[in-house]
Amino acid sequence: MSDDTTGKDQDQRYMLEPFPVQRTDSPFPPLFESLPPSPADPSSDWIASADAHDLPTRENRLAALGRFAFPPAPPLDDEGVAARDRRWASRTIFVVAAFLLIFNAVSPLNWSRQQAPGWVQGTVQQMSEVWVAQLAVFGVDMPRQGVREMWTTARQARFISQGVSRGAREDSTDKAGSPTIR
Amino acid sequence: MLFPTLAFGIFFLFVYFTAWSLDRENGRRKLFLLLASWFFYAQWDWRFVALLIVSAILNWGVAALIARQTDKRSGWLVGLGVAVNLLILGFFKYYGFFIEQAGDLLAQFGWERDLPLLQIVLPVGISFFTFQGISYVVDVHRGKTPPAKSLLDVMLLMSFFPHLVAGPIVRASDLLPQFDRTPRLTRAMATHGLLLIVWGLFKKTVIASEISVNLVDPVFFDPSAYGAVDIAAAVYGYAVQIYCDFSAYSDMAIGIAALLGYSFPRNFDQPYRASSMQSFWRRWHISLSSWLRDYLYVPLGGGRKGLISSCINVFITMVLGGLWHGAAWTFLAWGTLHGGVQVIERLGRAAFGDRKVVPTVIGVLVTFHIVCLGWILFRAENFGLAMAMLQGLGRIGPVVALTPLLLTLIVGGLAMHWLPPRAIEGLAERLKTAPSLTLGLLIGAAFLLIEAVRPDGVAPFIYFQF
Repeated sequence: MSDDTTGKDQDQRYMLEPFPVQRTDSPFPPLFESLPPSPADPSSDWIASADAHDLPTRENRLAALGRFAFPPAPPLDDEGVAARDRRWASRTIFVVAAFLLIFNAVSPLNWSRQQAPGWVQGTVQQMSEVWVAQLAVFGVDMPRQGVREMWTTARQARFISQGVSRGAREDSTDKAGSPTIR
Repeated sequence: MLFPTLAFGIFFLFVYFTAWSLDRENGRRKLFLLLASWFFYAQWDWRFVALLIVSAILNWGVAALIARQTDKRSGWLVGLGVAVNLLILGFFKYYGFFIEQAGDLLAQFGWERDLPLLQIVLPVGISFFTFQGISYVVDVHRGKTPPAKSLLDVMLLMSFFPHLVAGPIVRASDLLPQFDRTPRLTRAMATHGLLLIVWGLFKKTVIASEISVNLVDPVFFDPSAYGAVDIAAAVYGYAVQIYCDFSAYSDMAIGIAALLGYSFPRNFDQPYRASSMQSFWRRWHISLSSWLRDYLYVPLGGGRKGLISSCINVFITMVLGGLWHGAAWTFLAWGTLHGGVQVIERLGRAAFGDRKVVPTVIGVLVTFHIVCLGWILFRAENFGLAMAMLQGLGRIGPVVALTPLLLTLIVGGLAMHWLPPRAIEGLAERLKTAPSLTLGLLIGAAFLLIEAVRPDGVAPFIYFQF
């Protein structure tokens, strides 16, 4: 019952008339005159000394990329530079230590022989002896020995007026008495 | 634990890597460095670590009290701080000497007494850390440096192992600001530090040790057994030895500190190039001479009260500087010689003004030989041996001790004074851009050369006894 009444009302509302009774919204923009007055401009912030070229311009990201596949990373900050320098210094020290461990292998052995007997001394001495013997096979002790011999020769040299070398005498005594690996 | 030993090398590698692994927490880093410094010092005598701690606490406490005084009436506190430091130094270093002298003096007047003689072991480096303590207290009083933010900073200032046993005397104003933040290690610092360590090792273990063992020690032990040439060579040799020994320690200390991120002041600047005694003291042991100037010469009145007063003050300063080196009359005579020559120079300048009276070359030669004369007093055990050395300079005899190698080392040790003034820094600037592998191999090769030629064992540094 009620459904029938509602349907009749709708038919009356949309009944066709010879003239339009309502103005629908225009599909065109409104006329200027019909617009409400726009608010006044704010006070100017114009700076006479400013140059338009100084103003920030929007960066064309494609232009900035240029021929790169992706944008380069920003430069390292201080912390990054410091860390990089520290790693460089540590690597250098590591190289020095490794170099000396190979070419100056007798140093730990000599050191261990100068210490009082004990577990640490004994262990270091045994390990050093094996290490020195292994490296000697490859001849890495030769540079040290060569320099040492040249130095010994220079040490034994005497002025003409001095005659027999005192150093040579000492060395011969050394060879007979105390075997020291140098 | 001496710098040029394997044990120290291992110790330093451990400290280096651990300290830099703690770089995010500066407090822990400083605490670790302090513990490492105490361990380093305990290798001589662990009991004296307590002395180091007590000394640091006293100086920290006095400086904190001075900083709290708002009415500028902290003079008595400064006096207390300085007196406590001098008391520690005096007891350990001069007690035996003064008691012995007092006994001799009383005996001369017929009042022989059994004075309490004690066998006191001299703590290594006590002169250095007490002078640091004095400078800290006085600087806080003068407002030159703010008081340390924590006791840890003062302890580390006085105990930091690179400078602990033989200087340089690093002042609070130099080091405390560096403790405020975690240090940075730049390539320049690392390269400079490594080069200084290598250079110092070369000077100490090759030049100083060789000259000491084969020339200076035997000749100074028995001068009567040698002729003029050997004795003259021993005197020049000692001049080279003490320079190469002490400057080597300073170089290595500066280098080690640089690798840990801290900067120390220079301690030597080619001293044998000096053309006057005043210039010599601006180049030799700079941290001590500037300390004596700021904390002794200036408080005495400096040069403010005229020429005579200035001469007296510089003389007193140099005599006390001599006594600082050791409790012996020979050191006192050495200080007197240096003070006397400086007085003569001042009088000369007053008479002739700034006019150049003698050519620079003559000035350098004269100054060098006066310094060498002083080294005889410095090195000789007593006045008898010093006189025997001087008498031996006129004795004709065969050359026994001097060899071509020793002569080369002496000449080389003197010639290094005519290298460009900042040669190591210049080399470091060039090498800092090298790859780590290249620099590591270069430094390693230099170490190897030094290790190959150095004598067995390492003699302690000369300045350890002071």
